[in-house]
Amino acid sequence: MIEGFRLGVFSRGTTLWDGLDFAFGDAAAWFVAGPPSSGKTLLLSILRGERRPDAGDVVVSGESLYRGNAAIGRAWRASCGHVPGQAISDARLTVGDLFRRSALACGGVRESERLARTDRLLEMVGLPGALGWRIPEMSISERVRASLAAELLRGPKVLFCDGVVAGAGILYRERLWGLFRALAREGNTVVLAERTIPERWALAAGDPEPIGPFRVYRLPVPGGKGETG
Amino acid sequence: MSEQPSLWWIDLRLSRAPFVREMIGRFLFFCLLGVAFLSLILSGGGSRFLADRYAITAVLRAEVPAAEAEGLVRKVAALPPVRSAAYTDPEAAWKEFLRAYPGLDSLRGAGGNPMPGYIEIRIRPERLTGADVALVASALRSVSHVERVLAGEEWLPRLLRAGRVASRACWGIFGVFLAAFFLVGRLQERARAVALAGDFAFLAERGVSIGRLAFFRAAGAAVSGFFLAAAGTAAGGGALFLLLGRFPSLEGVIGPPSDLLLPRTVAAAVLFSLGAALLSAAASLLGGRAAGSGRK
Repeated sequence: MIEGFRLGVFSRGTTLWDGLDFAFGDAAAWFVAGPPSSGKTLLLSILRGERRPDAGDVVVSGESLYRGNAAIGRAWRASCGHVPGQAISDARLTVGDLFRRSALACGGVRESERLARTDRLLEMVGLPGALGWRIPEMSISERVRASLAAELLRGPKVLFCDGVVAGAGILYRERLWGLFRALAREGNTVVLAERTIPERWALAAGDPEPIGPFRVYRLPVPGGKGETG
Repeated sequence: MSEQPSLWWIDLRLSRAPFVREMIGRFLFFCLLGVAFLSLILSGGGSRFLADRYAITAVLRAEVPAAEAEGLVRKVAALPPVRSAAYTDPEAAWKEFLRAYPGLDSLRGAGGNPMPGYIEIRIRPERLTGADVALVASALRSVSHVERVLAGEEWLPRLLRAGRVASRACWGIFGVFLAAFFLVGRLQERARAVALAGDFAFLAERGVSIGRLAFFRAAGAAVSGFFLAAAGTAAGGGALFLLLGRFPSLEGVIGPPSDLLLPRTVAAAVLFSLGAALLSAAASLLGGRAAGSGRK
Protein backbone atom coordinates (compact mmCIF):
# COMPACT_ATOMS: atom_id res chain seq x y z
CA MET A 1 0.00 0.00 0.00
CA ILE A 2 1.30 3.43 -1.01
CA GLU A 3 -0.21 6.20 1.07
CA GLY A 4 0.24 9.91 0.74
CA PHE A 5 -0.79 11.95 3.79
CA ARG A 6 -1.64 15.64 3.57
CA LEU A 7 0.68 16.02 0.59
CA GLY A 8 1.47 19.54 -0.47
CA VAL A 9 3.71 21.03 -3.14
CA PHE A 10 4.95 24.57 -3.40
CA SER A 11 6.12 25.32 -6.92
CA ARG A 12 6.81 28.41 -9.05
CA GLY A 13 6.07 30.72 -6.14
CA THR A 14 2.65 29.32 -5.44
CA THR A 15 1.01 26.35 -3.75
CA LEU A 16 0.26 23.81 -6.44
CA TRP A 17 -1.78 21.65 -4.12
CA ASP A 18 -1.89 20.98 -0.40
CA GLY A 19 -3.47 18.58 2.06
CA LEU A 20 -4.08 15.78 -0.47
CA ASP A 21 -4.49 12.21 0.76
CA PHE A 22 -3.85 9.27 -1.55
CA ALA A 23 -4.08 5.55 -1.02
CA PHE A 24 -2.94 3.17 -3.75
CA GLY A 25 -3.63 -0.41 -2.78
CA ASP A 26 -1.38 -3.29 -3.81
CA ALA A 27 -2.05 -5.53 -6.81
CA ALA A 28 -4.11 -2.93 -8.63
CA ALA A 29 -3.86 -0.60 -11.61
CA TRP A 30 -4.48 3.05 -10.73
CA PHE A 31 -5.13 5.85 -13.15
CA VAL A 32 -4.51 9.44 -12.05
CA ALA A 33 -6.01 11.92 -14.50
CA GLY A 34 -5.25 15.60 -14.19
CA PRO A 35 -5.17 18.69 -16.39
CA PRO A 36 -1.89 20.03 -17.83
CA SER A 37 0.45 21.62 -15.25
CA SER A 38 -1.50 20.13 -12.38
CA GLY A 39 1.59 18.37 -11.01
CA LYS A 40 1.07 14.79 -12.19
CA THR A 41 4.77 14.20 -12.89
CA LEU A 42 5.59 15.81 -9.55
CA LEU A 43 3.11 13.55 -7.78
CA LEU A 44 4.69 10.46 -9.34
CA SER A 45 8.19 11.58 -8.36
CA ILE A 46 6.97 12.16 -4.79
CA LEU A 47 5.37 8.72 -4.65
CA ARG A 48 8.56 7.16 -6.05
CA GLY A 49 10.63 8.73 -3.29
CA GLU A 50 12.49 10.99 -5.70
CA ARG A 51 11.23 14.39 -4.60
CA ARG A 52 10.43 15.28 -1.01
CA PRO A 53 6.97 16.90 -0.72
CA ASP A 54 6.83 20.38 0.77
CA ALA A 55 4.17 19.14 3.14
CA GLY A 56 2.97 15.74 4.26
CA ASP A 57 4.60 12.35 3.89
CA VAL A 58 4.49 9.19 1.82
CA VAL A 59 4.21 5.88 3.65
CA VAL A 60 4.88 2.57 1.93
CA SER A 61 3.99 -0.63 3.78
CA GLY A 62 4.00 1.34 7.03
CA GLU A 63 7.43 2.95 6.48
CA SER A 64 7.88 6.66 5.83
CA LEU A 65 9.84 7.38 2.66
CA TYR A 66 11.00 10.82 3.69
CA ARG A 67 11.14 10.83 7.47
CA GLY A 68 12.66 7.42 8.03
CA ASN A 69 15.90 5.70 7.15
CA ALA A 70 17.35 6.75 3.78
CA ALA A 71 18.02 3.09 2.99
CA ILE A 72 14.27 2.44 3.02
CA GLY A 73 13.81 5.11 0.37
CA ARG A 74 16.56 3.59 -1.76
CA ALA A 75 15.14 0.08 -1.39
CA TRP A 76 11.73 1.43 -2.38
CA ARG A 77 13.12 3.15 -5.47
CA ALA A 78 14.95 -0.05 -6.39
CA SER A 79 11.65 -1.95 -6.32
CA CYS A 80 9.89 0.60 -8.53
CA GLY A 81 9.83 0.91 -12.28
CA HIS A 82 9.43 4.29 -13.90
CA VAL A 83 8.51 5.10 -17.47
CA PRO A 84 9.04 8.84 -17.89
CA GLY A 85 6.93 11.08 -20.04
CA GLN A 86 9.88 13.08 -21.35
CA ALA A 87 11.64 11.75 -24.41
CA ILE A 88 15.15 10.43 -23.89
CA SER A 89 17.55 12.83 -25.58
CA ASP A 90 20.82 10.86 -25.57
CA ALA A 91 21.63 10.54 -29.28
CA ARG A 92 23.85 7.48 -28.81
CA LEU A 93 21.33 5.33 -26.94
CA THR A 94 19.79 2.30 -28.56
CA VAL A 95 16.87 0.20 -27.39
CA GLY A 96 19.42 -2.41 -26.34
CA ASP A 97 21.07 0.20 -24.08
CA LEU A 98 17.75 0.78 -22.30
CA PHE A 99 17.52 -2.93 -21.52
CA ARG A 100 21.18 -3.09 -20.50
CA ARG A 101 20.63 -0.23 -18.05
CA SER A 102 17.53 -1.84 -16.68
CA ALA A 103 19.28 -5.19 -16.19
CA LEU A 104 22.14 -3.40 -14.47
CA ALA A 105 19.77 -1.73 -12.02
CA CYS A 106 18.37 -4.99 -10.75
CA GLY A 107 21.52 -7.11 -10.82
CA GLY A 108 21.71 -10.85 -10.99
CA VAL A 109 20.23 -11.18 -14.51
CA ARG A 110 22.25 -13.53 -16.68
CA GLU A 111 23.07 -12.32 -20.19
CA SER A 112 21.23 -15.18 -21.90
CA GLU A 113 18.18 -14.67 -19.70
CA ARG A 114 18.24 -10.93 -20.34
CA LEU A 115 18.33 -11.40 -24.11
CA ALA A 116 15.50 -13.94 -24.06
CA ARG A 117 13.32 -11.71 -21.88
CA THR A 118 14.20 -8.66 -23.97
CA ASP A 119 12.94 -10.32 -27.15
CA ARG A 120 9.69 -11.37 -25.47
CA LEU A 121 9.06 -7.93 -23.97
CA LEU A 122 9.77 -6.09 -27.22
CA GLU A 123 7.36 -8.35 -29.01
CA MET A 124 4.78 -7.73 -26.30
CA VAL A 125 4.89 -3.94 -26.83
CA GLY A 126 4.84 -4.28 -30.61
CA LEU A 127 8.53 -3.66 -31.28
CA PRO A 128 9.96 -7.02 -32.37
CA GLY A 129 13.59 -6.82 -33.51
CA ALA A 130 14.00 -3.24 -32.28
CA LEU A 131 17.00 -4.00 -30.07
CA GLY A 132 19.49 -2.17 -32.27
CA TRP A 133 17.27 0.81 -33.05
CA ARG A 134 18.57 4.21 -32.03
CA ILE A 135 16.26 6.06 -29.66
CA PRO A 136 16.46 9.46 -31.43
CA GLU A 137 15.36 7.83 -34.66
CA MET A 138 12.22 6.36 -33.11
CA SER A 139 8.77 7.91 -32.84
CA ILE A 140 7.36 9.03 -29.48
CA SER A 141 5.12 5.99 -29.39
CA GLU A 142 8.02 3.63 -30.07
CA ARG A 143 10.21 5.31 -27.45
CA VAL A 144 7.51 5.06 -24.80
CA ARG A 145 6.82 1.41 -25.55
CA ALA A 146 10.55 0.58 -25.60
CA SER A 147 11.01 2.32 -22.24
CA LEU A 148 8.06 0.43 -20.80
CA ALA A 149 9.43 -2.90 -22.01
CA ALA A 150 12.87 -2.08 -20.59
CA GLU A 151 11.35 -1.30 -17.19
CA LEU A 152 9.38 -4.54 -17.22
CA LEU A 153 12.65 -6.46 -17.70
CA ARG A 154 13.40 -5.92 -14.01
CA GLY A 155 9.97 -7.11 -12.94
CA PRO A 156 9.23 -4.12 -10.70
CA LYS A 157 6.66 -4.60 -7.95
CA VAL A 158 5.37 -1.10 -8.55
CA LEU A 159 5.32 0.57 -11.95
CA PHE A 160 4.89 4.32 -12.37
CA CYS A 161 4.01 5.45 -15.90
CA ASP A 162 3.93 9.11 -16.78
CA GLY A 163 1.95 9.85 -19.94
CA VAL A 164 2.54 6.38 -21.35
CA VAL A 165 -1.01 5.76 -22.58
CA ALA A 166 -1.12 9.05 -24.47
CA GLY A 167 2.45 8.63 -25.70
CA ALA A 168 1.92 5.09 -27.00
CA GLY A 169 -1.00 6.22 -29.14
CA ILE A 170 -4.53 4.98 -29.76
CA LEU A 171 -3.36 1.91 -31.68
CA TYR A 172 -1.65 0.48 -28.61
CA ARG A 173 -4.25 1.45 -25.99
CA GLU A 174 -5.94 -1.91 -25.90
CA ARG A 175 -2.63 -3.72 -25.69
CA LEU A 176 -1.60 -1.52 -22.73
CA TRP A 177 -5.02 -1.95 -21.12
CA GLY A 178 -4.49 -5.70 -21.16
CA LEU A 179 -0.87 -5.41 -20.04
CA PHE A 180 -1.54 -3.19 -17.01
CA ARG A 181 -4.45 -5.30 -15.85
CA ALA A 182 -2.38 -8.46 -16.28
CA LEU A 183 0.42 -6.93 -14.21
CA ALA A 184 -2.04 -6.04 -11.45
CA ARG A 185 -3.51 -9.54 -11.52
CA GLU A 186 -0.02 -10.93 -10.95
CA GLY A 187 0.27 -8.88 -7.75
CA ASN A 188 2.00 -5.75 -9.08
CA THR A 189 0.85 -2.20 -8.58
CA VAL A 190 0.61 0.14 -11.56
CA VAL A 191 0.14 3.88 -11.20
CA LEU A 192 -0.56 5.77 -14.43
CA ALA A 193 -0.61 9.54 -14.71
CA GLU A 194 -2.37 11.01 -17.77
CA ARG A 195 -4.18 14.14 -18.80
CA THR A 196 -7.30 12.25 -19.76
CA ILE A 197 -8.52 8.74 -19.37
CA PRO A 198 -9.65 6.88 -22.48
CA GLU A 199 -13.44 6.73 -22.52
CA ARG A 200 -13.68 2.95 -22.48
CA TRP A 201 -11.28 2.76 -19.53
CA ALA A 202 -13.32 5.34 -17.63
CA LEU A 203 -16.50 3.43 -18.24
CA ALA A 204 -14.92 0.20 -17.02
CA ALA A 205 -13.35 1.86 -13.97
CA GLY A 206 -16.50 3.54 -12.76
CA ASP A 207 -16.64 6.71 -10.71
CA PRO A 208 -13.26 8.30 -9.93
CA GLU A 209 -12.25 9.65 -6.56
CA PRO A 210 -11.60 13.38 -6.88
CA ILE A 211 -8.43 14.40 -5.01
CA GLY A 212 -7.41 18.03 -5.49
CA PRO A 213 -6.95 18.65 -9.21
CA PHE A 214 -6.79 14.91 -9.90
CA ARG A 215 -9.32 12.17 -10.61
CA VAL A 216 -8.13 8.79 -9.37
CA TYR A 217 -9.55 5.68 -11.03
CA ARG A 218 -9.02 2.09 -10.04
CA LEU A 219 -8.94 0.02 -13.20
CA PRO A 220 -10.76 -3.28 -13.00
CA VAL A 221 -8.48 -6.28 -12.76
CA PRO A 222 -9.58 -9.56 -14.36
CA GLY A 223 -10.44 -12.02 -11.62
CA GLY A 224 -10.22 -9.22 -9.06
CA LYS A 225 -12.87 -7.49 -6.97
CA GLY A 226 -15.83 -6.29 -9.00
CA GLU A 227 -14.63 -7.88 -12.23
CA THR A 228 -15.83 -11.05 -13.79
CA GLY A 229 -13.24 -11.42 -16.49
CA MET B 1 12.22 -5.27 -3.04
CA SER B 2 14.83 -5.91 -5.76
CA GLU B 3 18.33 -7.02 -4.80
CA GLN B 4 21.13 -4.44 -4.86
CA PRO B 5 22.88 -4.49 -8.24
CA SER B 6 26.58 -5.26 -8.36
CA LEU B 7 28.49 -2.10 -9.22
CA TRP B 8 31.90 -3.73 -9.68
CA TRP B 9 33.45 -2.76 -13.03
CA ILE B 10 30.39 -0.72 -13.84
CA ASP B 11 32.38 1.48 -16.22
CA LEU B 12 33.59 -1.56 -18.13
CA ARG B 13 30.07 -2.97 -18.34
CA LEU B 14 28.56 0.31 -19.49
CA SER B 15 31.27 1.54 -21.80
CA ARG B 16 33.46 -1.39 -22.81
CA ALA B 17 35.37 -0.08 -25.86
CA PRO B 18 36.43 3.36 -24.49
CA PHE B 19 37.28 1.78 -21.14
CA VAL B 20 39.51 -0.86 -22.74
CA ARG B 21 41.19 1.81 -24.90
CA GLU B 22 41.97 3.89 -21.81
CA MET B 23 43.33 0.87 -19.97
CA ILE B 24 45.63 -0.01 -22.87
CA GLY B 25 46.89 3.58 -22.88
CA ARG B 26 47.51 3.47 -19.15
CA PHE B 27 49.32 0.16 -19.42
CA LEU B 28 51.69 1.58 -22.06
CA PHE B 29 52.28 4.65 -19.90
CA PHE B 30 53.02 2.42 -16.91
CA CYS B 31 55.53 0.48 -19.03
CA LEU B 32 57.47 3.71 -19.59
CA LEU B 33 57.06 4.78 -15.98
CA GLY B 34 58.11 1.29 -14.88
CA VAL B 35 61.37 1.51 -16.85
CA ALA B 36 62.05 4.96 -15.37
CA PHE B 37 61.12 3.87 -11.85
CA LEU B 38 63.25 0.73 -11.88
CA SER B 39 66.19 2.62 -13.42
CA LEU B 40 65.96 5.22 -10.67
CA ILE B 41 65.63 2.62 -7.94
CA LEU B 42 68.55 0.51 -9.18
CA SER B 43 70.83 3.42 -10.00
CA GLY B 44 70.03 5.20 -6.73
CA GLY B 45 69.77 8.44 -8.67
CA GLY B 46 73.42 9.02 -9.61
CA SER B 47 74.93 7.03 -6.74
CA ARG B 48 75.81 3.93 -8.74
CA PHE B 49 77.43 6.07 -11.46
CA LEU B 50 79.55 7.90 -8.89
CA ALA B 51 80.34 4.77 -6.89
CA ASP B 52 81.49 3.06 -10.05
CA ARG B 53 84.02 5.80 -10.64
CA TYR B 54 85.10 6.60 -7.12
CA ALA B 55 87.74 4.62 -5.22
CA ILE B 56 89.79 5.11 -2.05
CA THR B 57 93.44 4.24 -2.50
CA ALA B 58 95.47 3.16 0.50
CA VAL B 59 99.17 3.39 -0.37
CA LEU B 60 101.11 0.80 1.65
CA ARG B 61 104.58 1.16 3.08
CA ALA B 62 107.35 -0.38 1.01
CA GLU B 63 108.24 -3.07 3.51
CA VAL B 64 104.72 -4.51 3.93
CA PRO B 65 104.73 -8.23 2.98
CA ALA B 66 102.11 -9.41 0.50
CA ALA B 67 100.52 -11.77 3.06
CA GLU B 68 99.93 -8.95 5.52
CA ALA B 69 98.59 -6.72 2.75
CA GLU B 70 96.11 -9.45 1.79
CA GLY B 71 95.07 -9.76 5.46
CA LEU B 72 94.49 -6.02 5.53
CA VAL B 73 92.39 -6.29 2.35
CA ARG B 74 90.15 -8.88 4.03
CA LYS B 75 89.67 -6.63 7.07
CA VAL B 76 88.87 -3.60 4.90
CA ALA B 77 86.44 -5.59 2.76
CA ALA B 78 84.55 -6.50 5.94
CA LEU B 79 83.72 -2.85 6.65
CA PRO B 80 79.98 -2.26 5.97
CA PRO B 81 80.34 0.56 3.43
CA VAL B 82 82.93 -1.31 1.35
CA ARG B 83 81.82 -3.06 -1.81
CA SER B 84 85.24 -4.41 -2.79
CA ALA B 85 88.89 -4.10 -1.85
CA ALA B 86 91.76 -5.25 -4.05
CA TYR B 87 95.49 -5.37 -3.36
CA THR B 88 98.00 -4.49 -6.07
CA ASP B 89 101.59 -5.51 -5.22
CA PRO B 90 104.55 -3.19 -6.03
CA GLU B 91 105.49 -5.15 -9.15
CA ALA B 92 101.98 -4.91 -10.63
CA ALA B 93 101.87 -1.25 -9.63
CA TRP B 94 105.12 -0.64 -11.54
CA LYS B 95 103.69 -2.30 -14.66
CA GLU B 96 100.55 -0.18 -14.39
CA PHE B 97 102.75 2.89 -14.10
CA LEU B 98 104.70 1.99 -17.20
CA ARG B 99 101.48 1.37 -19.12
CA ALA B 100 100.30 4.83 -18.11
CA TYR B 101 103.66 6.55 -18.67
CA PRO B 102 105.67 4.57 -21.20
CA GLY B 103 109.36 5.31 -21.57
CA LEU B 104 110.06 5.95 -17.90
CA ASP B 105 111.79 2.60 -17.31
CA SER B 106 114.91 4.45 -16.31
CA LEU B 107 113.28 5.42 -13.02
CA ARG B 108 113.84 1.84 -11.88
CA GLY B 109 117.54 2.11 -11.41
CA ALA B 110 119.82 0.94 -8.72
CA GLY B 111 117.29 1.69 -6.03
CA GLY B 112 114.90 -0.97 -7.38
CA ASN B 113 111.12 -0.60 -7.82
CA PRO B 114 110.08 2.87 -6.70
CA MET B 115 106.33 2.02 -6.74
CA PRO B 116 104.66 0.95 -3.48
CA GLY B 117 101.85 -1.62 -3.29
CA TYR B 118 98.36 -0.28 -2.70
CA ILE B 119 94.80 -1.30 -1.88
CA GLU B 120 91.95 0.02 -4.01
CA ILE B 121 88.66 0.21 -2.09
CA ARG B 122 85.28 0.70 -3.74
CA ILE B 123 82.24 1.85 -1.80
CA ARG B 124 78.71 0.44 -2.07
CA PRO B 125 76.53 2.89 -4.10
CA GLU B 126 73.97 3.23 -1.31
CA ARG B 127 76.77 3.95 1.25
CA LEU B 128 78.57 6.58 -0.81
CA THR B 129 78.28 9.39 1.71
CA GLY B 130 80.82 11.70 3.33
CA ALA B 131 80.41 9.94 6.68
CA ASP B 132 80.97 6.45 5.29
CA VAL B 133 83.97 7.53 3.23
CA ALA B 134 85.43 9.21 6.33
CA LEU B 135 84.80 6.01 8.32
CA VAL B 136 86.74 3.88 5.84
CA ALA B 137 89.53 6.47 5.42
CA SER B 138 90.04 6.88 9.17
CA ALA B 139 90.04 3.10 9.65
CA LEU B 140 92.81 2.83 7.04
CA ARG B 141 94.82 5.72 8.46
CA SER B 142 94.98 4.06 11.83
CA VAL B 143 96.77 1.04 10.32
CA SER B 144 100.56 1.26 10.64
CA HIS B 145 101.15 -0.49 7.27
CA VAL B 146 99.34 2.30 5.44
CA GLU B 147 101.51 5.22 4.48
CA ARG B 148 98.89 7.39 2.87
CA VAL B 149 95.15 7.33 2.13
CA LEU B 150 93.90 9.03 -1.04
CA ALA B 151 90.17 9.53 -0.59
CA GLY B 152 89.65 12.83 -2.39
CA GLU B 153 88.03 14.25 0.75
CA GLU B 154 88.60 17.82 -0.36
CA TRP B 155 86.41 17.51 -3.50
CA LEU B 156 84.17 14.59 -2.52
CA PRO B 157 81.48 16.70 -0.72
CA ARG B 158 80.95 18.79 -3.85
CA LEU B 159 80.72 15.68 -6.00
CA LEU B 160 78.22 14.08 -3.63
CA ARG B 161 76.16 17.28 -3.54
CA ALA B 162 76.08 17.35 -7.33
CA GLY B 163 75.01 13.69 -7.28
CA ARG B 164 72.19 14.45 -4.84
CA VAL B 165 70.99 17.34 -7.00
CA ALA B 166 71.03 15.11 -10.10
CA SER B 167 69.17 12.40 -8.19
CA ARG B 168 66.50 14.84 -7.00
CA ALA B 169 66.15 16.22 -10.51
CA CYS B 170 65.58 12.70 -11.88
CA TRP B 171 62.98 11.92 -9.20
CA GLY B 172 61.40 15.31 -9.83
CA ILE B 173 60.98 14.52 -13.53
CA PHE B 174 59.51 11.16 -12.55
CA GLY B 175 57.12 12.99 -10.20
CA VAL B 176 56.07 15.29 -13.05
CA PHE B 177 55.20 12.23 -15.16
CA LEU B 178 53.22 10.76 -12.26
CA ALA B 179 51.37 14.06 -11.86
CA ALA B 180 50.68 14.06 -15.60
CA PHE B 181 49.29 10.54 -15.28
CA PHE B 182 47.03 11.71 -12.46
CA LEU B 183 45.77 14.76 -14.38
CA VAL B 184 45.16 12.84 -17.61
CA GLY B 185 43.51 10.05 -15.61
CA ARG B 186 41.25 12.57 -13.89
CA LEU B 187 40.24 14.05 -17.24
CA GLN B 188 39.53 10.59 -18.64
CA GLU B 189 37.48 9.67 -15.58
CA ARG B 190 35.58 12.92 -15.84
CA ALA B 191 34.87 12.42 -19.55
CA ARG B 192 33.68 8.88 -18.88
CA ALA B 193 31.48 10.05 -16.00
CA VAL B 194 29.93 12.67 -18.29
CA ALA B 195 29.36 10.07 -21.02
CA LEU B 196 27.74 7.70 -18.54
CA ALA B 197 25.77 10.39 -16.70
CA GLY B 198 22.50 9.11 -18.17
CA ASP B 199 23.22 5.59 -16.95
CA PHE B 200 24.21 6.82 -13.50
CA ALA B 201 21.10 9.00 -13.24
CA PHE B 202 19.00 6.00 -14.24
CA LEU B 203 20.62 3.90 -11.51
CA ALA B 204 20.29 6.68 -8.92
CA GLU B 205 16.61 7.01 -9.79
CA ARG B 206 16.26 3.31 -9.09
CA GLY B 207 17.70 3.43 -5.60
CA VAL B 208 21.43 3.11 -6.23
CA SER B 209 23.23 5.46 -3.87
CA ILE B 210 25.55 7.96 -5.57
CA GLY B 211 28.13 7.39 -2.82
CA ARG B 212 28.06 3.62 -3.39
CA LEU B 213 28.44 4.19 -7.12
CA ALA B 214 31.42 6.52 -6.61
CA PHE B 215 32.97 4.06 -4.16
CA PHE B 216 32.75 1.12 -6.54
CA ARG B 217 33.99 3.19 -9.47
CA ALA B 218 36.99 4.30 -7.38
CA ALA B 219 37.56 0.75 -6.13
CA GLY B 220 37.49 -0.53 -9.71
CA ALA B 221 39.93 2.20 -10.73
CA ALA B 222 42.23 1.29 -7.82
CA VAL B 223 42.22 -2.43 -8.64
CA SER B 224 42.77 -1.84 -12.35
CA GLY B 225 45.42 0.81 -11.53
CA PHE B 226 47.29 -1.65 -9.30
CA PHE B 227 47.31 -4.47 -11.81
CA LEU B 228 48.10 -2.21 -14.77
CA ALA B 229 50.99 -0.63 -12.86
CA ALA B 230 52.24 -4.06 -11.75
CA ALA B 231 51.98 -5.42 -15.30
CA GLY B 232 53.52 -2.26 -16.78
CA THR B 233 56.39 -2.32 -14.29
CA ALA B 234 56.97 -6.02 -14.97
CA ALA B 235 57.01 -5.37 -18.71
CA GLY B 236 59.28 -2.35 -18.19
CA GLY B 237 61.55 -4.49 -16.00
CA GLY B 238 61.72 -7.10 -18.74
CA ALA B 239 62.65 -4.44 -21.28
CA LEU B 240 65.30 -3.08 -18.93
CA PHE B 241 66.66 -6.59 -18.41
CA LEU B 242 67.07 -7.04 -22.16
CA LEU B 243 68.55 -3.55 -22.53
CA LEU B 244 71.17 -4.18 -19.84
CA GLY B 245 72.03 -7.50 -21.48
CA ARG B 246 72.48 -5.85 -24.86
CA PHE B 247 74.35 -2.79 -23.61
CA PRO B 248 76.51 -3.89 -20.66
CA SER B 249 77.99 -0.39 -20.38
CA LEU B 250 74.66 0.70 -18.86
CA GLU B 251 75.35 -1.52 -15.88
CA GLY B 252 77.74 1.13 -14.59
CA VAL B 253 74.84 3.57 -14.35
CA ILE B 254 71.81 1.36 -13.64
CA GLY B 255 73.27 -1.81 -12.20
CA PRO B 256 73.42 -5.48 -13.12
CA PRO B 257 70.24 -7.13 -14.54
CA SER B 258 70.19 -9.54 -11.61
CA ASP B 259 69.38 -6.61 -9.28
CA LEU B 260 65.94 -6.46 -10.91
CA LEU B 261 65.02 -9.65 -9.08
CA LEU B 262 66.25 -8.55 -5.66
CA PRO B 263 63.50 -8.62 -2.99
CA ARG B 264 63.93 -4.89 -2.35
CA THR B 265 63.42 -4.11 -6.06
CA VAL B 266 60.27 -6.25 -6.13
CA ALA B 267 59.04 -4.58 -2.92
CA ALA B 268 59.64 -1.15 -4.48
CA ALA B 269 57.66 -2.20 -7.58
CA VAL B 270 54.77 -3.36 -5.37
CA LEU B 271 54.84 -0.03 -3.51
CA PHE B 272 54.85 1.81 -6.84
CA SER B 273 51.82 -0.23 -7.96
CA LEU B 274 50.03 0.60 -4.71
CA GLY B 275 50.78 4.28 -5.29
CA ALA B 276 49.40 3.99 -8.81
CA ALA B 277 46.27 2.36 -7.38
CA LEU B 278 45.77 5.24 -4.95
CA LEU B 279 46.30 7.81 -7.71
CA SER B 280 43.82 5.98 -9.96
CA ALA B 281 41.20 5.88 -7.19
CA ALA B 282 41.72 9.58 -6.44
CA ALA B 283 41.47 10.42 -10.15
CA SER B 284 38.22 8.46 -10.36
CA LEU B 285 36.70 10.17 -7.31
CA LEU B 286 37.77 13.67 -8.33
CA GLY B 287 36.87 13.13 -12.00
CA GLY B 288 33.44 11.80 -11.04
CA ARG B 289 32.86 14.68 -8.66
CA ALA B 290 33.95 17.24 -11.26
CA ALA B 291 31.57 15.67 -13.78
CA GLY B 292 28.75 15.83 -11.24
CA SER B 293 29.36 19.48 -10.47
CA GLY B 294 29.97 20.40 -14.12
CA ARG B 295 33.51 21.65 -13.47
CA LYS B 296 36.54 20.91 -15.63
